[in-house]
Amino acid sequence: MSNEHDMVIEIEDLSKSYGHHDVLRGLSLRVAAGEVYGLLGPNGAGKSTLLHLLLGFLKPNAGRVQVFGSSNLEAMRAQIGYIPERQRYHTRYTAREYLHFMGEMSGLYGSELSNRVEELIVLVDLEADANRMLNTFSKGMLQRLGVAQALLGDPSLLLIDEPTSGLDPSGQRGVLDLLASLRDRGHTVFLCTHYLHEIEYLCDRVGVLARGQIAAEARVHDLRMPSSNVMIEVNLLEPELRNQLQALSMGITCEPRMIQIRQNTPQLQTEVLQILINAGVAILALEPLESPLEQFYTQAVQSVTPAQVAQRPKKEKPVFVATPADLAPPKRPVTRPPGEGETLLNELLRRSSGSANGETNKPESEK
Amino acid sequence: MRSLRFTGFMLLEYLRSGRVALEIIATMVVFFVFLRRVGISMNAEYFFSVTGVYAPILTLYTTAAFIGLGDRPQGYVLLAHGMSRTNYLLGIFGSALSIVAGSYGILALMAALFNRPLDLTIFGWMLGTIPLLLNVALLAALMLMLSPLVFPSSWRLTVLGLIALAFSSNFIGGPIFESLPPLVRAILRAIQAVLGGPLVPAFYGFQLTVTRDYSSMTAVANILAQISLLIALLGLAIYSFSRRDLIFSDGAQG
Repeated sequence: MSNEHDMVIEIEDLSKSYGHHDVLRGLSLRVAAGEVYGLLGPNGAGKSTLLHLLLGFLKPNAGRVQVFGSSNLEAMRAQIGYIPERQRYHTRYTAREYLHFMGEMSGLYGSELSNRVEELIVLVDLEADANRMLNTFSKGMLQRLGVAQALLGDPSLLLIDEPTSGLDPSGQRGVLDLLASLRDRGHTVFLCTHYLHEIEYLCDRVGVLARGQIAAEARVHDLRMPSSNVMIEVNLLEPELRNQLQALSMGITCEPRMIQIRQNTPQLQTEVLQILINAGVAILALEPLESPLEQFYTQAVQSVTPAQVAQRPKKEKPVFVATPADLAPPKRPVTRPPGEGETLLNELLRRSSGSANGETNKPESEK
Repeated sequence: MRSLRFTGFMLLEYLRSGRVALEIIATMVVFFVFLRRVGISMNAEYFFSVTGVYAPILTLYTTAAFIGLGDRPQGYVLLAHGMSRTNYLLGIFGSALSIVAGSYGILALMAALFNRPLDLTIFGWMLGTIPLLLNVALLAALMLMLSPLVFPSSWRLTVLGLIALAFSSNFIGGPIFESLPPLVRAILRAIQAVLGGPLVPAFYGFQLTVTRDYSSMTAVANILAQISLLIALLGLAIYSFSRRDLIFSDGAQG
């Protein structure tokens, strides 16, 4: 893989239209090596169009697209793995036959190809079904096959389009876990989705595509702050404890089994949790009343109005351009699948059990 | 090489899908109706007259079927694996040609086994087969070029209009033609002559299939003309396909 500071994807002022329908309007973005970039946008926003432009299937009307520093996108395909949105593969083949053929198309032959195919069949957990025809596969299995075919040529960059679209919860979890393992192997990933939880789970950085532009970008880690409004579910709060909590802030309201914190801050949330832990109250759940990523997405989409788009001169900079700090090599936090609880709560519980065991409160990375 | 491998991949899918049954049934029907006439012996001219018409008709169906197979979103994954657009198009062309050539081969084999044309040697069969298969390839290449995969609608309409003009002498003739102003008549004749030029190798190729008369240089020249026209059509199709936006059918853009 190339140097981590290299740009794998560089898009500048990209425009694409179909007839009179403008899909992308002066879009600019950059993705660094080793980074997992998530592109959020509603259906029809132009996410698939952007992926097809990156693959050289479509020609831009204006602007510049470079992958691995080259504008010859067809020549770069050997370094790209592509997982399409719809699980549409040639279904008159077994999984093993299909992967063999795709491997040949990627320039693999002989024992190298056979070994690679078997290795990937194991990776995507299709050993038991490798000799079944693809037209008997479930959507989840087809998507895992899609991951396997994309990895055949050992690509440095993965382009992924709506990886869990149409999958049941179990299939979604399987595919997300698989993609998380690829992220941890150091692949650069460009993921298009309209599911916020995929971004939270997989990505280092997120961009919101609205009206053909990147309306906003942010580091996902920065969005993992305590939500401004949270709800804590407990087994039972005694009246004295409720009063003690409500005295902390005007934004705290308590009921016998629930605490709501409005205008939350990390300090306030810590104080509340500390009081609850010290009082021996069982904390059943801590949930944001709305996710910070959801707020970010909504604000980004609302920030770009049709009038603004119409008035924007062609050469004007996009609404947001990532700074060099944003493009620094990713320092990934320990992420957990959606629904596994709040990081701060986990940290407090760890501290609490660490104190009981006489351990020091070192950060996770230093242990 | 990738083009050949892709041809094999497409053929295997076609065979496994069972769609090839139509070609097999059609070939059997043609054999039993036209070539296996009990009590009537067959000569080479008759054999090639039948196959010279049957093979192009089969080409229309088979090429359309393979264009349909190629014009699906599944193609994105193939092309993302580094396969060039040229190989992709040649693979579709090669697949269609293989099925038609195979059907023709089966028909010829059955005729040889069950009702052999009395005046036809293997060498004679080859002489008739060359221009016949070149005509099949020409038709397949033309269909590929005119498919939505390759040509945008405006180009397709233009080419079809030119072909109609080339054939217009067949339906604008006699009294209608004479009633036109002299200048219009002259222009129409010139256009028909120019546009009809590329059709000559195909028509003469059919004649050559039936007669197998290679005694003059014209026959060899016509084979070269068929090959040249085939290269031109494929070249134009590849050029157009490589330059346009690749949007397969049912591949809605999001």
